[in-house]
Amino acid sequence: MRMRALGVATLATLAFAATACGSSQSASPAASSAPASGSASAPAAGGTLVIWADPMRVKPLQPFAEQFGTENGVTVEVKEISKDNQMTFLTASQQGSGPDVMIGAHDWIGNLVQNGAIDPVTLTEEQKAAFSAKAIQAVTFNGQIYGAPYAVENIALIRNTDLAPDAPASIEEMLDKGKELKKAGKVKEVLCIPVGQKGDAFHVYPIFASGGGALFGTTPAGDPDPKQVLLGSEESVKAFGKLKDLGEKGDGALRTSLTNENYIVNFAGGKCAYLVSGPWAISEVKKGGVTYDISAVPSFKDGKPATPFVGVQSFFVASKGKNKALAQEFVANYVTNKDVAKALYEADPRPPALTAALQEVQAADPDAAKFMEAGKEGMPMPAIPEMAAIWEPFGIAETAVVKGGDPAEAAAAAQKAIDGSLKN
Amino acid sequence: MAVDVREAARAQGPGRPRREITTAFVVSRIAVLAVAAAILLYAVPPLIAAGSWVPLGVLAAASAAIAYLYLTRRFVAAKYLIPGTVFLLAFQVFPVVYTVTTAFTNFGDGHRGDKAAAVEAIQTGSVRQAPGSPEYTMTAALRGEELVFLLVDPATKQVSLGSAEGLSRLDGARLGATGKVLSAPGVSVLTAPQAAARGQEISALAVPTAGGLIKANGLSRAVEGKATLVYDAACDCVRGNGDTWTADESQGYFVNARGEHLAQGWQVNVGLDNFLRVLTNPTISGYFAGVLGWNLVFALASVLGCFALGMSAALALHHPRMRGTRVYRIVLILPYAMPAFAMLLVWRDMFNRDFGLINQLLGTEIDWLGGTMTARFGVILVNLWLGFPYMFLVTTGALQAIPRELTEAAAIDGATPWRAFRRVTLPLLLVALTPLLISAFAFNFNNYNAIALTTEGGPFPADSPQVGGTDLLITYTFRLAFGAGGAQFGFAAAISVFIFAIVAVISAVAFRRSRKQEEIYA
Amino acid sequence: MKMALRHVFVLLVCAFAVFPILFVVSAAINPMGTLASTDLLPTGASLGNVADLLTSDTYPFARWFFNSVFIALVSSFAALLLSMFAAYAFSRMRFAGRRVGMLALLLIQMFPQFLAIVTIFMIFTEVTELYPAFGFNTVWGLLLLYLGGALGVNTWLMKGFLDTVPKELDEAATMDGATHAQIFWRVIMPLVTPILAVTALLAFIGTMSEFLMANVFLRDPESKTLAVGMYGMIAGDHRNANFGMFASATLITAIPTVGVFLWLQKYIVSGLTAGAVKG
Repeated sequence: MRMRALGVATLATLAFAATACGSSQSASPAASSAPASGSASAPAAGGTLVIWADPMRVKPLQPFAEQFGTENGVTVEVKEISKDNQMTFLTASQQGSGPDVMIGAHDWIGNLVQNGAIDPVTLTEEQKAAFSAKAIQAVTFNGQIYGAPYAVENIALIRNTDLAPDAPASIEEMLDKGKELKKAGKVKEVLCIPVGQKGDAFHVYPIFASGGGALFGTTPAGDPDPKQVLLGSEESVKAFGKLKDLGEKGDGALRTSLTNENYIVNFAGGKCAYLVSGPWAISEVKKGGVTYDISAVPSFKDGKPATPFVGVQSFFVASKGKNKALAQEFVANYVTNKDVAKALYEADPRPPALTAALQEVQAADPDAAKFMEAGKEGMPMPAIPEMAAIWEPFGIAETAVVKGGDPAEAAAAAQKAIDGSLKN
Repeated sequence: MAVDVREAARAQGPGRPRREITTAFVVSRIAVLAVAAAILLYAVPPLIAAGSWVPLGVLAAASAAIAYLYLTRRFVAAKYLIPGTVFLLAFQVFPVVYTVTTAFTNFGDGHRGDKAAAVEAIQTGSVRQAPGSPEYTMTAALRGEELVFLLVDPATKQVSLGSAEGLSRLDGARLGATGKVLSAPGVSVLTAPQAAARGQEISALAVPTAGGLIKANGLSRAVEGKATLVYDAACDCVRGNGDTWTADESQGYFVNARGEHLAQGWQVNVGLDNFLRVLTNPTISGYFAGVLGWNLVFALASVLGCFALGMSAALALHHPRMRGTRVYRIVLILPYAMPAFAMLLVWRDMFNRDFGLINQLLGTEIDWLGGTMTARFGVILVNLWLGFPYMFLVTTGALQAIPRELTEAAAIDGATPWRAFRRVTLPLLLVALTPLLISAFAFNFNNYNAIALTTEGGPFPADSPQVGGTDLLITYTFRLAFGAGGAQFGFAAAISVFIFAIVAVISAVAFRRSRKQEEIYA
Repeated sequence: MKMALRHVFVLLVCAFAVFPILFVVSAAINPMGTLASTDLLPTGASLGNVADLLTSDTYPFARWFFNSVFIALVSSFAALLLSMFAAYAFSRMRFAGRRVGMLALLLIQMFPQFLAIVTIFMIFTEVTELYPAFGFNTVWGLLLLYLGGALGVNTWLMKGFLDTVPKELDEAATMDGATHAQIFWRVIMPLVTPILAVTALLAFIGTMSEFLMANVFLRDPESKTLAVGMYGMIAGDHRNANFGMFASATLITAIPTVGVFLWLQKYIVSGLTAGAVKG
């Protein structure tokens, strides 16, 4: 009987230990870290404000969160979500354990709104004027502002100035230079732009747009109209034809073996003279020791403008947050200040959405302004939920033509797939 | 050990019909009661505080059942099964059952919440700032016990008092540098922490005005706004902007005369619609046979390949005179010790045509993941790499249970090693491992990550962007369910039910066969 | 089979097992570490990535490591106990619903787990409100959740092994007046150490690499597990910049598993030295 008793006693001890440790919050490695994560350990009288961010932004936000907490007598917790942030936020909110403030990209707005997960943010005229117009345009959905923008990002053409000293005036010029360098053995690739086996709609969009292609028609109000998907239109077929010419059977500028994993490092390693990428590429390019300059993605000669997508990172007020007044205070009146924008910029150098912050950042780092300039003509990524149906078929059509497939066939198949899934 | 037990037992006197009550017995029973009591003590107060009587009843009944179970001498099997089963029911069975119930609803993006939540979201989202109205600087204050807003028009510095009754002029207030009110007659101004503590009240207070309502925007500003869309319970509709949207309970949307709906919907029961969609969706039905065929090949090849390779390695090391087994074993489990998602990504890039390691080593220029056959070969190879250490480990363990005398006897009888393996080792291994093989088959049948992190289902033929060469049932159907306009959980749940039915049937058949085996060998 | 042949075969399998890992090693010690480098041999060798990783401000790697090992040890120990109990009952006792129970156990694992996350949120939102110590953001809640998978296929593995232990042993012990508990702890457990060790190792590895649930449960940067933290490293646009660190992290993640294996190995192969199961 001894062993039995021992076993039971062990279990009992474990159970007690678990209970004890759990409530004292000290014995477990995770629980004991609560003070270290920047929130005061004793809950303040005013309640708690919970912010969810992605891993890059937790650290830079913490000092501001603490300051806000001290000023308002509340506890502010910045929590980190690593994966499926939008979906996790929606599910958690719905079930009642979501945050008060969420950080994410503006193109989530459509889906967040249809789920009733976020509230509009009221900014004063003065506040609105402090942001770049593109940023405000991006966070506006159905005529309402749904987020406080803090960073604007878009892709541009980054070139190795040792190999290609001048910014190309057109895609053709860039190709000529790239092919010439490749022939001379100075580079391995004409252009570094990710394609992969499933295409990359985000990066190829400016070229597609310059070729005359379009995703959606526009509503009378100027918003993208989900009822008019234009991927199969004649103009888009022509644009896919141009992508085919750039592809593996043509100029070799678009290649499926260039992927999101290797396109930047190839440029940083001097294997191509041109890179189509965004601000996130710069740290690596610098690490590779390449001298570079940034300009807008060029358009085709006699083509339409090569408009990149513009993405705007924003703070959202959760509808189902437990402390909405605090969340509104934080989003509308606190993070719209310059210092927060600058701190976030320093953690992850994407051009600040606040004009004043951008100007200050610019003095030390001209890249931010150059990216901003390159995105001047850009199109805010459509925030409508229907956009989710576009990415994949578009990318697959891109890969098909890059591999030498028939543009009309690829465009028609993409159109059909999108129509089918939007109807459902 | 065994001898030990007998000695201990003998000391108590053998063959007694009922065992005497020993100290250990008493101690163990007390321990059980203590655990039950501790759980109750911990769990009950919050339930009472929250007034959750049903869970409380369930908890009490469960505790009583457990206490009885471990105090009685009966139900021996249950004593061993209950601990694991409790967790199994809570965290595996319940989620599965819940998932199945959502298959009968339109649960998904746009339809996550209930109707009340949708109405609230519609109205909140439609509030527009009244044109030309001031952007007030707001200070929360108390008039007696009542929360009021002290509103300052930044242009005129005029102070007004806003309460649930309306807006009234307030004179004699002292303003600070930020434009907030420092003090005012008749009210006590709240400090920032005091205001933050009343955050919910502040959010709730609406000051009626001629043009709409003044509501707080944070803790220091307030704006006058008007909801442009208003729900009317009488007609169960939403009116505004010169249009009317009527609730349609079959879709979970407010729909207008032109058939357009408001973005925010709610969850409704849709009966068997999701199941019918699975059956009638042209993408699903059109490609089903082909995908199922490949899916079976993928799952079988993964399981059998891993088993064959893992078992061979285990057998090769299972020899008393084999040297270096410790080192070999460590090397062989390494693939299993690495994080799988990381290694899947590494493999994908090794298959890259121009930059991949594999083409470089082989001196080839094959677009591995760009061709259907090579991509299929690739994902099976990757899965083999990821999975064989598991089979190696379990076979190594199971081999220890096979008495060496049996194989030695076979050898003495003149059987070749191969025959001895076929006749003795393999059947005994299979008794222990068949369920694992079945479960590994089921796992690989739905191995979402192995595909999603390598080929993402590709390569895709130019004329059909919906189904790729390496797509499994779960990857291509879930692409439909999560592709357009957000996640459609209800549809995905219906798909899961179908896929589960397929796997379960295959597994149950295999299980019946293994049961016959067990009866022969066990 | 000739000894040499065995060595040749095992060496081949080892080569297959190791070759992608060498690639990761190369990326880890390559200062420009990347998933895309075409070379098995690094262009430069340094421990810079490892040093970056261990001193990183953004990634408290040492804490992740500790969290992961702690959670994996506790959860695999508990899972081992629970599944061993169940396997003992399934193997040694005959009761109504035994077959059905075993089949159900096998089948329940086959339901696509993809959608369970919604239900997990439902359950733990309640739990967090009632019992914050076991709610979101706690290790204990996550451990409870992991125990849901404790029975699973491990029970089958152990049951299969237990079936090979002769029943005469228990019968003899019963004749001698031993209770079922004594038989379990003192007769059966010592005999099944190989499979206990294998199951413990499998459970340990399973917990080390789990990230779906851990991602929604552990939300403080310092409370993350390795799998979640590492996933965050390469999420989004930063996967390139961090790959050297990520590769180092991948390698370091394998260390505890190898350690546990080294510790358990003698039990796994104990049958070899101890000979067959003796009565």
